[in-house]
Amino acid sequence: MLKMHNIRKSYRTDTIETHALRDFSLEVNEGEFVSVTGPSGSGKTTFLNIAGLLETPTGGQYLLDGEDVSSLNDNQRSRLRNEKIGFIFQGFNLIPDLNLFDNIDVPLRYRGFNAKERKKRIEKVLEQVGLSARARHLPAQLSGGQQQRVAIARALAGEPRFLLADEPTGNLDSLMARQVMELLEFINEWGTTIVMVTHDPDLARRAHRNIQVVDGQVSDLQRTAAPTAVEIA
Amino acid sequence: MIGYYLSLAIRSLRSTPILSSLMVAAIAVGVGAAMTTLTLNYMMSRNALAEKDAVLYAVQLDSWSATQGVDNPSEMPWQVTYQDAVSLLRSDIPTHQVAMHLWGGPISVEGSEIRPFVAGARVTSRDFFALFGVDFIYGGTWSEEADSSPLQQIVLSEETNEKLFGGENSVGRSLNFNGALFTVVGVTEHWQPSPKVHDLNNGSFNNSAEVFLPFGLHRQFEIYPWGNNNGWKAEEINSYEDRLNSDVVWLQYWVQLDSPEQVEDYRDFLTAHIRGQKAQGRFPRPLKFGLTNPSEWLQLNEVVDGDDRMLSWLSLAFLLVCLVNAVALLLAKFLRKAPEAGVRRALGASRNAVFSQHLVESGCVGLAGGLVGILLTLGGLGLIRQLQMGYMDRVAAMDWTMMIAAIGLAVLSSLLAGLYPAWRISRTNPSVYLKTQ
Ligand SMILES: Nc1ncnc2c1ncn2[C@@H]1O[C@H](COP(=O)(O)OP(=O)(O)OP(=O)(O)O)[C@@H](O)[C@H]1O
Ligand SMILES: [Mg+2]
Repeated sequence: MLKMHNIRKSYRTDTIETHALRDFSLEVNEGEFVSVTGPSGSGKTTFLNIAGLLETPTGGQYLLDGEDVSSLNDNQRSRLRNEKIGFIFQGFNLIPDLNLFDNIDVPLRYRGFNAKERKKRIEKVLEQVGLSARARHLPAQLSGGQQQRVAIARALAGEPRFLLADEPTGNLDSLMARQVMELLEFINEWGTTIVMVTHDPDLARRAHRNIQVVDGQVSDLQRTAAPTAVEIA
Repeated sequence: MIGYYLSLAIRSLRSTPILSSLMVAAIAVGVGAAMTTLTLNYMMSRNALAEKDAVLYAVQLDSWSATQGVDNPSEMPWQVTYQDAVSLLRSDIPTHQVAMHLWGGPISVEGSEIRPFVAGARVTSRDFFALFGVDFIYGGTWSEEADSSPLQQIVLSEETNEKLFGGENSVGRSLNFNGALFTVVGVTEHWQPSPKVHDLNNGSFNNSAEVFLPFGLHRQFEIYPWGNNNGWKAEEINSYEDRLNSDVVWLQYWVQLDSPEQVEDYRDFLTAHIRGQKAQGRFPRPLKFGLTNPSEWLQLNEVVDGDDRMLSWLSLAFLLVCLVNAVALLLAKFLRKAPEAGVRRALGASRNAVFSQHLVESGCVGLAGGLVGILLTLGGLGLIRQLQMGYMDRVAAMDWTMMIAAIGLAVLSSLLAGLYPAWRISRTNPSVYLKTQ
């Protein structure tokens, strides 16, 4: 599904050059649920952004679904991102002016679906996250946990094969965090590959596999649980 | 996608009503100022005789003094003398030709309740209507004879006929003009070229004539023209006959020449005429005449003068200042919404999509600015009409061309203004905004 080899990413500001990732290599298989942990500033978000084609690496090779994405132009990358990848952020990042329905509509618009198809999908994912009754509400009218569920619904509406979550529970209390985690696990069971950055060791342990990023590199590759064990959770 | 961008733009503009109003106002004020001056210029320089531009010529003869200069860009007198006009009228080369000047006098109808009033008249040879394309509602022009001998025939304008005869067919009816009895032979359709290309000597934007009189009346009425008279010679003028034979210029002369051969022949004719006059001691300067078509005639007469043009440039500069303001406001608005653009990028919007979305928003601001700008322009022109008298009614008015031009100018301006902000926002790295919060 995802294969990174010796990915490098450096940011150059006037004074210093930061090496956010150095020789970062990782393989994620179809259907996996991978958690990513590591100290602040170690490069976790940078990794997710490169994986999600939001940023281009300074060097190295990245194959998404076997396709080398380094040679693609912005239009092609955006299209791939739209079709294959769903993003979830710590800050939810819902568009405040748009109601839930229109927020979930955003990726479907860029996908070019017709109005009927979009409506069908929006209603389906809203139901999945249990917010059907609130389709016309604005994000500000929801609790944090509900907002994150909308963000997940928005990420799922295009039926991506690959879900990237950057501290999706970071802004939530433990109860809401657990609900979101359960939702993600449910989605994963239905076949979506998930990579989730988290600071919460308990949540990290619930993934099939946890990787540690330290200083822009993968420090340890280990399986924390067999896929069968997750089903109990 | 345009529809989606439009709905997003409207939503976005409505969410910041004050900022949006400021942007619309900036563009509207700039467009309003620019369009007000441009409209004035455009209407003033419009060629009312454009359809006949290829075949009509204003005739100028250089009958001026050998020592004195002529104070105009053509360096020839604008008008011709009576004696030359009469000679030129004898040529049978032009399809139509007109010698004419302004006059006027009290007009009334016997037994009518309408009070006598002073009517502006054009004394002209009979081809006037055919040459300038003035159509008749009733009747037609006077007989050929009336151009050389005093026949008291008169043609009324539509408006005058309305005043005197309530718009009825008045052909054959009698009226009093300047104390003499005239017979109506025709009623013309409304005709008000603006500017008055056919006679720029007497107020380029003044009202057109209310009545038309034959060219054969001069001696009978001892007609002194109401328009400009210019002379250069110390001539002894003791009688009306002396005046007609003087070197004072006071008539406008136009010809219609339909083919290059006609033009060639007419040039030869004018050359021969001037040579003949030189032989009699007139035309002391080198042989020179002018045949000028209406559009060049307008330019030569500087209907739109340098100050007007300067004002246009100033107003365009002002529009530019307004645009710079609009750019700053748009940039502020777009950058404030950068996080949203970041989210859209993450959800699959390409840079181009983000760029288009914001450009559409700029376009909407421009469209609104253009519409308000037209209102401001109409207001500005209205103000000018209030301040000035007479002709401004016709000049300070917008036609469809100018309305469309105003909207075009506004949308183009705001697209230009939006180009940089939209580009900026589409190039910003989305991850920067996604990380924050
Ligand atoms: N746009 C940028 N410009 C300059 N430096 C950057 C940029 N983005 C990230 N960095 C730097 O790259 C390094 C890795 O950042 P990254 O955001 O990936 O860390 P992280 O592991 O996600 O941290 P956290 O756990 O705090 O979210 C940091 O040192 C950061 O300062
Ligand atoms: Mg991070």
